[in-house]
Amino acid sequence: MSASTLIAILTAGLTNGAVYALATIGLSLVWGSLGMLNMAHGALLTLGGYAAYTVVTTYGLPAPVGFVGGIAAGALAGAILYGAVVKHLLKQPSETFETNVLIATVGIGIALENTILLVYGGQPFRQPTSMDGLLRIGVTSVPVQDIVIILVSLLMMGVVGWILARTRMGRAIRATAQNREAAQLMGVPIRRVYLQVLMLAGALAGICGVLVSSITQLSPSLGGDPMLKAFIMCVIAGLGNLPGAVASAFGLALIEAFVQFGAGARWGFPVLLLIVILVLIWRPTGLFGRAAIRRL
Amino acid sequence: MPETLALVLTGITSGYAGPAVLTDVSLSVGRGQLITVVGPNGHGKTTLLKTISGLVRLRGGRIDLEGKSIAGLAPDVIAARGVAHVPQGDLLFPQMSVEENLLMGAYAERAKSVIAERLDEVFVRLPKLAERRKQIASTLSGGERRMVGIGRGLMMGGRVLLIDEPSLGLAPLIIEQIYLVIADLKASGRSILLVEENPARVVDLADSIHLLDNGAIVWSGPPAELMARDELLATYLGG
Repeated sequence: MSASTLIAILTAGLTNGAVYALATIGLSLVWGSLGMLNMAHGALLTLGGYAAYTVVTTYGLPAPVGFVGGIAAGALAGAILYGAVVKHLLKQPSETFETNVLIATVGIGIALENTILLVYGGQPFRQPTSMDGLLRIGVTSVPVQDIVIILVSLLMMGVVGWILARTRMGRAIRATAQNREAAQLMGVPIRRVYLQVLMLAGALAGICGVLVSSITQLSPSLGGDPMLKAFIMCVIAGLGNLPGAVASAFGLALIEAFVQFGAGARWGFPVLLLIVILVLIWRPTGLFGRAAIRRL
Repeated sequence: MPETLALVLTGITSGYAGPAVLTDVSLSVGRGQLITVVGPNGHGKTTLLKTISGLVRLRGGRIDLEGKSIAGLAPDVIAARGVAHVPQGDLLFPQMSVEENLLMGAYAERAKSVIAERLDEVFVRLPKLAERRKQIASTLSGGERRMVGIGRGLMMGGRVLLIDEPSLGLAPLIIEQIYLVIADLKASGRSILLVEENPARVVDLADSIHLLDNGAIVWSGPPAELMARDELLATYLGG
């Protein structure tokens, strides 16, 4: 294997890993703090991608504004998801909540995806919120957009980590995740915490949607593949475990990239699924998971 | 004289789905007093404290904190008004350090200087916690966890402290230490409502004892009097 091939595989793996990691932390954050498997997460990704497209193409604004538009659309959708649906389902006991919110978000995801199909049509678009050009690395060169994706993703993970570890809001989110009743007794308004978590996850989905569409293309089913991969990462890491989710996302994306190079592109996904099956057999709570512990 | 009363419950009825757990319970905690509710397990002691802090829905009656009604408010609002509830089994935040757990107690307080003051006070009263400051709560011993639970309650700086079975699941020697802390809190002038299964532990401490049986108060009076009434102890507490 030549150096340039190795760099190409590593770039592909790390770029995909960055996208998977972003999709995964959004999903994992919501599960960890609400016990909610957000099946509409993929549709929020798609929404963010199209929002950035509209801001740049229809309103003629520069790409960074489009990027902010994608984030804002995701956060807003997260807030609406909370206010219109989740808030009401939370009044139910937790066992029925977990099932009902899963089914409700499946429906919301389908509705949102079809709304996008209705508004924009099914033909794919190029995402204008991206950077062109190649960056020379030693003997080869890699697309600048790939580097941007990796850096933005790392930055966002840093921001999420900082919010959770260092801010009052983050401490309240972790407290609510670890013991909802105790958090209430300490004066934490848990409804506001849930709203904040869904907005944060929505914003992450928006960013992820812009990034993933910049290396593929915009289509109404854009969010499906990253969300599926995010579920795989969550299962392997243990749901709700953020550092584990990030490690799994990069690790598995690299494995996928090497398998695709070595055995052909069609083997990438089956190998990921095989790993999931093996993990579920030997470590049902995930590689980094602990039984029945949600941790944030 | 309502201004000398920290907490007043008047004829409260409450419960979960289904029949009421508590019926027509009235009691009051004067400022600086330690009032104890004793009774067999499963007869509503924990529900009583949870009703005060808003975790269990109040169906009837009044709850007044320093003369103002807190009935029907959300738990986080009640906590911010000054009810510090140290729950049964501690309910710590297991993945947080001792210090982070304590800081969560002061969540409703925004002034950094006040939070630092309270933290210093907790470390003076519970010096063990200062040693364990950076340790993750889930790795502490049972006695240490109880101290974090009480310390977290103190961090809330409440007007009244509710403590639910501080002796639960601890070795006798540790229980003694915990009660020394509680005596120290009473001496510092705090108003405390304490729930306990065994009245013998609070004889020297409580200003008054209420006996809760089957969701209703069946006897109230000074602790020494309860200990002298063998028939009450035998009937309700199996002593």
